[in-house]
Amino acid sequence: MSTPKPRGRRSPRESDVSESFTPIGDTTLTGLQRLPIHTRYPLTPSRLAASGTPSRRTPHNRAAAAPSTPYGLRAMQRRAANTPARDRRKSGRMQRETTFDILRNLGRALAPVSQPIRSSPREEKPEPGLEPEKDEIEELDNEPEIERPRLSLPLEEVEEQEEASPEPRPPRLSLAFEEEDITVEYPRRATSEHDRARLSMMSFGNPRLSENFGDATRLESDSEDGDDTGVEHEDRENQDETVMSQGAFDRGGETEDLGRFNFDFNFPSPPPPPADDMNGPLNDDEGFELPPVDLAQDTVPMSDESDGDAAMAGEFGLDLNMPSRVSLSESPGIVGGGLRDEDTFVVQGKQKKLSRHGIPVPNMPSGVVRKLATRFAPARAGSKAKISKATLAAIEQASSWYFEQVAEDLAAYSKHAGRKTIDESDVMTLMRRQRHINNSTTVFSLASKHLPKELLQDMRLSMPP
Amino acid sequence: MAATQKLYPRGTVKRIIKAQSNCNVSKNADILIFLDYMLFMQELVREASIRSRKTGDKTIGPNSIRKVTERTLRKFKG
Repeated sequence: MSTPKPRGRRSPRESDVSESFTPIGDTTLTGLQRLPIHTRYPLTPSRLAASGTPSRRTPHNRAAAAPSTPYGLRAMQRRAANTPARDRRKSGRMQRETTFDILRNLGRALAPVSQPIRSSPREEKPEPGLEPEKDEIEELDNEPEIERPRLSLPLEEVEEQEEASPEPRPPRLSLAFEEEDITVEYPRRATSEHDRARLSMMSFGNPRLSENFGDATRLESDSEDGDDTGVEHEDRENQDETVMSQGAFDRGGETEDLGRFNFDFNFPSPPPPPADDMNGPLNDDEGFELPPVDLAQDTVPMSDESDGDAAMAGEFGLDLNMPSRVSLSESPGIVGGGLRDEDTFVVQGKQKKLSRHGIPVPNMPSGVVRKLATRFAPARAGSKAKISKATLAAIEQASSWYFEQVAEDLAAYSKHAGRKTIDESDVMTLMRRQRHINNSTTVFSLASKHLPKELLQDMRLSMPP
Repeated sequence: MAATQKLYPRGTVKRIIKAQSNCNVSKNADILIFLDYMLFMQELVREASIRSRKTGDKTIGPNSIRKVTERTLRKFKG
């Protein structure tokens, strides 16, 4: 609305007049002040001075743009009516003054003088003077004097009431604390149910689930698992090897009956950590306790298994539904069996692992694995590559999963090519898809980097360059 | 590398793949598979050592291996 060419000319008479209009002494409000837009902003006078409504324009412009003739004024008004959104194009200051700002300023202005709300005075007893004058109907009405609701309450009293109400439950953690990688991992597990059926690699997934289930129950006791203290884990590892061959990741055999529990009853997976969180507050506040009779029935058959487990599980409300069959079938030999069907054919022996095709799978000899690991590990650790037994077990587990996965992929490729034999080209395809082979890197360069000569020669013979 | 006369048992690798895939494995494909396995091990150990160094361990613990296994396996998914 302002004329593009600012002119510094400003008549002193005009400014004097406008000064008389505005009480704060803003000298430059002129015809603009009279425009209807300004009534849209319900600003208190002090606010007007502080925020500087007129600061939307430079003083020069404003002085220049002030129409002196009635025609000019009318033109200005029409223009203002036609472009209602022109304020948006101005500096954002005006827009930022929201209702909230106004209220906040009001609050600031009133804060020193305002008093905390006192409760309204309690209702006095009905005036005795009025009573005898009433007729019978009034007396009937009056008999139980309903207490009048108090109009307002002081803040302290409200807080007291809130404290009296049962404590809000702590937020339920859907994930364990220390697993930061698992945020990616969980959706993947959730979607690939058939994957789980397909790969026995996912036996990795299952104990982990139950482990998490258990984790929520003993958050404080197990939270130090995130940092690796090697000794402790070795212990656990050894314990696991005695218990189950495949699920080396289950912790201490403590939670697998929970997993079994989940499996038996087809709870929605992953099972919400149910009773553990609400147990504490419930017990604390309302004195709620499980009926002792049920507890006794349930804990007695379970007490022969893992020691701390029975005590812990006894606190579960859900365990009341657990049939004794579960706990009876709990023997260390078949602990892993209840988790999943695939685990059942994983027999305890070392070499007896079966693939999903029912063919026994030999293990990669641990000597080879250790050799490879030490070859790749020590590069900057100062040639002090100590691969402990537990670490080696973890690596072996990883490599068995790796072979499983690779074999699946290779089988898919060869089947796609219409072959029954996994060919070199399939492996080439796989490596290309793994981004190991690209334009600058060939198989041969990789092989010459990693493989000994005789293998290299075999490879060269078998593959056309 | 130390040129060991036998880097790995070829028959074992072949049998592993054959059992897991239910396919035959051609004569020299296992070399490539083992090459890929070496790359996998390299990646796995490297990731694990990075992770264990981040947690302040000198050696690679089983836990760090476990933590990186999933990621590395996914990296090697064809």
